[in-house]
Amino acid sequence: MKRNGLRALGLATCAVVMVSLIGLAVDVNDVIKNELIDEISLAAGMALVGEYTLKTVEELENLAANGLTPGIRYAAERALFIVTGRELELYEMDDDALLELAKAGDQDAADMWYFKNRAQFKKPSLVEEYLLTVEADTLAIAAGTALGGFYVPGSPLGAKTEDELLELVKNGESLGLRVAAATALTAFWITTQPLTITEVSVEILAVTQVYPELALAYQGYLAYLFGL
Amino acid sequence: MKKALILAGLLLVSSLAVFGQGYDAQPADALVFPIGVAGTPYENAELGTQGGTLYEASIEDPRGWNNHTAHETSTTQYTNLMHRGLLNLDHISGAVVVDFAKGYDISEDGLVLTFYLREGIMWSDGTPITADDVLFTYNDVILNEDVDCNARDGQILPDGTFPILEKVDDYTVTFTLSTIYRPILNSLTFNLMPKHKLAQFVHKLNPDVPAGTFNETWTLDTPLSELVGNGPYVVTGYEVNVSVTMERNPYYYGYDNAGTQLPYYDKFVSLIVSNQDVSMLKFRNGEIDVYALRPEDIPILLPEGPAKGYTVDITDKATYGTTWIMINQDVGLPDGTNEEKRELYRNVEFREALAHLLDKDTMVQNVLNGLGTAQWSPISVPSPFYGGRDFYGGPITEADAVWFEYDPALAASKLDALGVVDADGDGWRDLPSGDPLTIEINANDNTVRIAYCLIIQDDFREAGLNTNFQVVDFNTLVGQLFSSTGDIIQLGLTGGDEPNSGKNVYRSCGALHAYRFSACEDPDEVDLRIDELLNLGANTFNLDDAFAYYKEYQQLLAHQLGYVYLCQQTFNYARYDKVGNAHLASPTSTPGGNNGLLTELCFDKS
Repeated sequence: MKRNGLRALGLATCAVVMVSLIGLAVDVNDVIKNELIDEISLAAGMALVGEYTLKTVEELENLAANGLTPGIRYAAERALFIVTGRELELYEMDDDALLELAKAGDQDAADMWYFKNRAQFKKPSLVEEYLLTVEADTLAIAAGTALGGFYVPGSPLGAKTEDELLELVKNGESLGLRVAAATALTAFWITTQPLTITEVSVEILAVTQVYPELALAYQGYLAYLFGL
Repeated sequence: MKKALILAGLLLVSSLAVFGQGYDAQPADALVFPIGVAGTPYENAELGTQGGTLYEASIEDPRGWNNHTAHETSTTQYTNLMHRGLLNLDHISGAVVVDFAKGYDISEDGLVLTFYLREGIMWSDGTPITADDVLFTYNDVILNEDVDCNARDGQILPDGTFPILEKVDDYTVTFTLSTIYRPILNSLTFNLMPKHKLAQFVHKLNPDVPAGTFNETWTLDTPLSELVGNGPYVVTGYEVNVSVTMERNPYYYGYDNAGTQLPYYDKFVSLIVSNQDVSMLKFRNGEIDVYALRPEDIPILLPEGPAKGYTVDITDKATYGTTWIMINQDVGLPDGTNEEKRELYRNVEFREALAHLLDKDTMVQNVLNGLGTAQWSPISVPSPFYGGRDFYGGPITEADAVWFEYDPALAASKLDALGVVDADGDGWRDLPSGDPLTIEINANDNTVRIAYCLIIQDDFREAGLNTNFQVVDFNTLVGQLFSSTGDIIQLGLTGGDEPNSGKNVYRSCGALHAYRFSACEDPDEVDLRIDELLNLGANTFNLDDAFAYYKEYQQLLAHQLGYVYLCQQTFNYARYDKVGNAHLASPTSTPGGNNGLLTELCFDKS
């Protein structure tokens, strides 16, 4: 509780700083190095993964372990994932091995398990059913992210409206459902671009303590805006 | 010293590809694409600029570089970029259009076709292309019995003869036909081959080489510097299991209407991957620029596309080909068994009962995520001759389609009427004699096909038909198909616009007439009429007549229920936004294939 209170204070302070930046060009490389708010730093990190893949493995390993901000560490980790070819390593693993890693907290393994088994989940109702009995948060996030693909406005099967998604991202019964709504909202906002960088940042600060998955949705959208 | 080494390296690389210098100026006879011109198929295309590399993925290595001895798309996807013919199928409209020919005339009786070739055009090594190359390709390669050539069957006229090709002058040739053959224009889309490079490998032209030498020419062992083409790209690099690299042909004769020579991309690289999943992962990582996705990929790609800079096109365009179950009417014939079952399978009432148990709507919804269309006809849905359309035009309409609606009650009553009832009270329907009836369904290891079969098995069992579904190796399945040893087989066929291209399947003596091979020796009235309609449809230039013949052909085959058609997925495509003109990707570009890109018109927008 005390920690949350301090964090809220920090968020409010930074909000003031950010609002004062309205109208100035945003250098995402500065954001990733200096940003104090985790969600915004992470958004900058998401936007810079491609750029980080140009670094050496040694540099990336160092940044992933010792980067000053969550965004730097995130960008380095994702870039390492790409440049070391771990994705294909995971792809070669059998389902049991992937599930074991997923249950131990490996999100990449969970994502790969879902990817390899996605033919079982051809309808949103099948994913929703799976989420009722999912055995680990990593698997719920993997399935929820895919479910977001069905929910996104414009999807041929299972599309939801923005209002429905906002309700679900806040009050969805499970982590997977909230992640699904967040994924769909991010995609929808990137397409419609309803908010500026500053406005999104303010929204993140406003909701991050209460609706973390909604903050996640804004974070994905902010990463896109940083990358423009 | 370092500079000298780099220079030596550059010289080595440039010596690997034997390219001429290209044209000094746009040739007067260039093939000009009307990019952005309203009222043409290219009105939604953008003018591009030269440069960059286009990446895509393929799940098979090529088996060689010889266009006319290739039987597989893993090879022709490259050779079709390396060679072009007198005519081609328009990438967007699918119509037959001029390519290396700048024009042609058809005599009033339809029996003489005169082609006028583009002058001043070169092969990729700078050698002029003339009528001699056309004659070499047709007379010495395609019609040469010594060559194992895929294009020869398409040249056979309804009376069993071949067109006669003659040279008028260096830039004019004529094809003379003994009888009218409307698909002749489709047949003349064959790719041209360079006589100056390949005549030496044809036994009839060079008796010093053994018969069949051409079949072993331009293999994977051939130095790539030997390859010469007239298409937009020429293969310049190949690493087994890794990639194929093609580079622009400086003598390609295609230009845009702003005077820029095509193709726009300098290089085209196809990464060779183990399966479609790996293709998809590479697409998501930005390692390839385009990806022909499966329905199950859509939920994953759709939400991340906007952030990663790619677009997922979900269309209502059906893809070419057919998917079906085949009820083997010759079951047991090879080994003299299953006489009563064979008699039952040959009864069209029984086949109708099974057709009423095929729940195509559920297949489309559950297997194809709703992104598919039910099929009833042997003709591919995108073909202008397909009888179930409302968006391509043509006199055939959905009203003429022959549907066997999913109706388990009707199926049950038909089975009852045939005496296929549960005689012994074990819960399963038996043969009319009371002997047990067991239906075996086989398919190969393909996620979509397996899903179809599981749905079919459920419905057959629900109707009281004791049914076993088994997945078998693809080659085993094909073996069953050709030896009449299967029972019910679920597979698919590729397709194209011209119904006559299916004559190897639907003629009573066709090599793939797998639902009743015995029809070749013992055709019934319907078989004979189908044979006749195939010839009549080809034997007229009057499209209204052809539509009428093919309409009857489709309806007869649908009623005959040899192949019982299921569903076909729609064309869906994912492409990075930096690839100009990738939005024009279409199944029309590559009938039978899975890559609908208009490769030579794509360009780098980044």
